[in-house]
Amino acid sequence: MKSNLKPRILVIEDDLHIAEGLKLNLSLQGYEVRIAQNGPAGIQMWREWRPDLIVLDIMLPGIDGLSILRNIRLEDEKIPILILSAKATTEFKVKGLSYGVDDYLTKPFSLEEFLLRVDRLVKRASWSNSDSELAKEMSDSELDRFTFGSNQVDFKTMTADCKSGQVRLTEQEAKLLKLFLLNPGQPLSREKLLQIGWGYTKGTTTRTVDNFIVRFRKYFEDNPKKPSYFVSIRSIGYVFYADPEKHTE
Amino acid sequence: MNRPNWLIHPVFILVSSILALVLSLFLYIYWYIEISSGLRSIIDRFNLDTGQFLTSQTWVVILVLTVLVGVIIMGIFIIFVYNLKTLRLYRLQHNFINNFTHELKTPVTSLKLYLETFLKHELSREEQLKYTQYMLADTGRLSNDINRILNLAQIESKNYAEAFTLQNLPEAIEQFYYNNAHLFRDCDIRIQRPENRSYFYRIIPSMFEMLLMNLFTNALKYNDAAVPAIEISFHERRKKMIVRFKDNGIGIDKSELKKIFKKFYQVGHSDDMSAKGSGLGLYLVDHIAKIHKGKIVAQSDGLGKGAIFNLILPWRYRSS
Repeated sequence: MKSNLKPRILVIEDDLHIAEGLKLNLSLQGYEVRIAQNGPAGIQMWREWRPDLIVLDIMLPGIDGLSILRNIRLEDEKIPILILSAKATTEFKVKGLSYGVDDYLTKPFSLEEFLLRVDRLVKRASWSNSDSELAKEMSDSELDRFTFGSNQVDFKTMTADCKSGQVRLTEQEAKLLKLFLLNPGQPLSREKLLQIGWGYTKGTTTRTVDNFIVRFRKYFEDNPKKPSYFVSIRSIGYVFYADPEKHTE
Repeated sequence: MNRPNWLIHPVFILVSSILALVLSLFLYIYWYIEISSGLRSIIDRFNLDTGQFLTSQTWVVILVLTVLVGVIIMGIFIIFVYNLKTLRLYRLQHNFINNFTHELKTPVTSLKLYLETFLKHELSREEQLKYTQYMLADTGRLSNDINRILNLAQIESKNYAEAFTLQNLPEAIEQFYYNNAHLFRDCDIRIQRPENRSYFYRIIPSMFEMLLMNLFTNALKYNDAAVPAIEISFHERRKKMIVRFKDNGIGIDKSELKKIFKKFYQVGHSDDMSAKGSGLGLYLVDHIAKIHKGKIVAQSDGLGKGAIFNLILPWRYRSS
C-alpha cells in the first residue's frame, strides 16, 4: 500500500551529527527520514509514524536500544531493525540478535555498506508485505498461543481461558503478559518491565507494574495469595515460571 | 559472569591460609609443651639441675610464636585487601576502556560518515559549510578526550608546569562563562556575585577552568529539564569559603554521593548501557580541588531533585 510512496526510515540515535549524516545520506537515496534523539521519543515516533525500517543505536538516553528493540518486537515481529552501535563485542551482537534484530553494524561503519544493507532490508520487507495476507496467516502463529498450567492465552483474539472462565485482555495486559511468557524463568525488574512494556522511563510509577501483576495473578493463579506462576523476587521484580513444580523450593 | 573456580577464589585462599597458620601455631605450642614436659621427666629421672634447661621460658616462647603468627596473618590480610582493591580498580578500568572507546568512536564515526558523504555526493556550498562545522566540532571533541587523558596523567603525577596566579574567584568564574558561552547556549546560568566582596585565591588558571568545565558540563549533561540551569553562589562559613554549584539535573542517589569522585566510577552500569562518559570528570575535579588546598563535596536530595556541588576552600583575606 505504501509502494508508491517513499519508504520511511526512523533513525534513533542520540548523537546529532551522526543522526544528521545518516538522514542526509538516506534522503539522497530517496528515503523519507526522521530522527529521534532518545528512547521514549523513538518509541513514540515508531508508533505514530509507522516507518518501514528502524536504525537503532544501543547507548541512548532514556531507554537503551535493546529495550526499545524488545518493546517493538512485542508488538511487531516484522519491521526490519538495524542496530548501529559502537558496542562491537559478540556479546552485544548475540543479545541483539536474540531479541530479534535483523542486522547489526558497528561504528565506525562504512557508508556504502550501511546504505546497501538498508536497501536490502527495505526491499525484503516490501516483498513480504506484498504477499502479506498469506504471510500474516503463516507467521506469528507460534507466538499467538501460549499454554501454562490450565491457562491458555491467545494473543490474536486477545483472550485468555483461565480458571475464572474467558477473560478479555487489554492491549497493555497482552503486551506485558507476552513479555513474561517469552522470558520464562528470567527475572525482570520493575524498571525493565516499565521500559520494555510501556516504553517509559519515568512519569509512571513502578506501582503500575504491581497493579498489573495483581490482575494477572487474579486471572491465572490457582491461589492469587500464593502465586506460583507470577512470582515476586524481593528488591528485584518479578519472574514468570511456565512449570512452577520445577521451581518450588 | 566468568566466576573463578572456588579453589582459586581469593576468599577461600585467605581463609585456608589463616586456618593453616592457626593450626600450625597450635601444633608449635603443643609440640613445644610435649617436648618440654618430656625433657622435664628426663630431668626428674636423672635429677639434673633444672636451671640449666630454661624451662621457665615456656610462656615467653608461646607469646613470641603467637605474636609472629599474628603478624603473618595481618600481612596476609593486608595483601588480601590490596588485592581486592586492585581487582576493583581493574574492573573499573575495564569499564572505563569500554566507555571511553565509545566516547572516542562517536566523533570518529561522525567524521568518517561526513568524509564518505563528501566523496560520494556533490553537495551545495551551504551544506558543505554546515557539515564541515560538524566535522570541526568532532575533531574538537576528539582532542578534548585526548587532553583529558593527558591532563589526568599530569595531575596525578603532580607535575604541572603552570604557576599559581592570584585571581578573584567570582571574576574568574564569570570570565570562564563568558569565554565559553557558546557551549551553554540554551541554559540558564546565573552567577550571583557577592556584593562588595572579593575572594582572591591563588589558582592555576587552566586547571581551574578544567574544574569549572567538568562541573558545568556534568550539570547540563545529566539533566533532562526543559531549560537546564546552574546557579553559582558564594558563601562564608566558619573559616571556610564555599562556592556552590546548584543544578536542576537528574540528581544523585544518596549511596552514590561519595563514589562519584572515584577514578573511573560511573553511575549506572556498563552492561545495561546506562553508564555514560569516562568516569574521569569528577575524579579530576576532586584532584584539582585538592591541588588548590580545597575539597569538593556533592549534595543531593535524591534522584530527580537536582544536585549541589560545593567547592570548599580555606578562608582567605578578602578586600573590597
